[in-house]
Amino acid sequence: MEKTVFVKLRHRVQVKPRAVVVIGDVAQITANDSNIAEQLKAVPLYRIQPSDKNIVIIDVMKVIRAMMEKDDALDVQVIGPAQTIIEVVDQKRRFSSAYFLLVWMLLFVGSAMAIMNFHEDVSMQEVHQHLYEMITGKKNDKPLLLQIPYSLGLGIGMILFFNHVFRKRINEEPSPLEVEMFNYQQSLDQYVILYENKESMGKIDDD
Amino acid sequence: MTIKILAVIFIGFAGGLAVGTGFVAFLVVLGVIPRLTQLTKTTKRIRAYEWSAIAGAVAGGWMSLRHTVLYMSKYWLIPLGLLQGVFIGMLAAALTEVLNVWPILAKRVGVADKIVILLMAIAFGKIVGSLFHWIYFTDYLR
Repeated sequence: MEKTVFVKLRHRVQVKPRAVVVIGDVAQITANDSNIAEQLKAVPLYRIQPSDKNIVIIDVMKVIRAMMEKDDALDVQVIGPAQTIIEVVDQKRRFSSAYFLLVWMLLFVGSAMAIMNFHEDVSMQEVHQHLYEMITGKKNDKPLLLQIPYSLGLGIGMILFFNHVFRKRINEEPSPLEVEMFNYQQSLDQYVILYENKESMGKIDDD
Repeated sequence: MTIKILAVIFIGFAGGLAVGTGFVAFLVVLGVIPRLTQLTKTTKRIRAYEWSAIAGAVAGGWMSLRHTVLYMSKYWLIPLGLLQGVFIGMLAAALTEVLNVWPILAKRVGVADKIVILLMAIAFGKIVGSLFHWIYFTDYLR
């Protein structure tokens, strides 16, 4: 009976610095002989170097080669992605709360200024005075009755758009923010798969 | 004379057409209406929402150009202001999304799990900035 092994690489794996990556870390392996599968999972593939910074790409060919070296009678069947992105995660990388607070204040003050500039830019004060006169027929230089609900509405609209408050109640679909993060991550992954994977590029020039 | 009148009609119509298409393009790019239908699960009614946006634009255009006065109670302004705010808030939120602010921020600062708190910073910043503007700042401009 032939020794068929099915290999499916994982898309993205996190490891610690200086770890040794074994096949079992980057791939799911199934074989008719579960003994072989267990043995293959323990085969070392790569040791993370400090010079690797934080992203290493393991190509499926590297995995197959390592398996062949272990046992050249294997019939390796690859399913799914052709490479795994290994993310080297430094344990001590925690942001301080002061740093976080700074970013928070930056966004807070920044968006406050942005909305004021927007109001001035579109002359919203005049529009509101005009609207007040249209509805009531009286003049009012400071139509706060309109403007205070408007201000609260601004915040409600933003939160509603990202659907964070009523998340469980309204629906279970991912919010646009989550989709956006996913797309961005997907693009980043595609980029590193192409440009960090030395095996996927054949260069003519000498560098 | 007739030619002048026809020319004015034509120019007005052309201008309105250009502004109207621009307005619709803006709404479509930001995707506020699809987002609202998704939130309320009323995708079937999307035609009605289209007409409400069109009717709103036409009514607003007419009222602001003709200086219509309705002589209603001033308390109508409260729901009006609230709706107006929610709409502009959603536009602003959609705009930050088109500009890809959030994913980049989350990556750079490394706070993907705390992004909601940062979102609140922007929402509260908008509320406070807006209130400050109407209550104090407009007096200074004078």
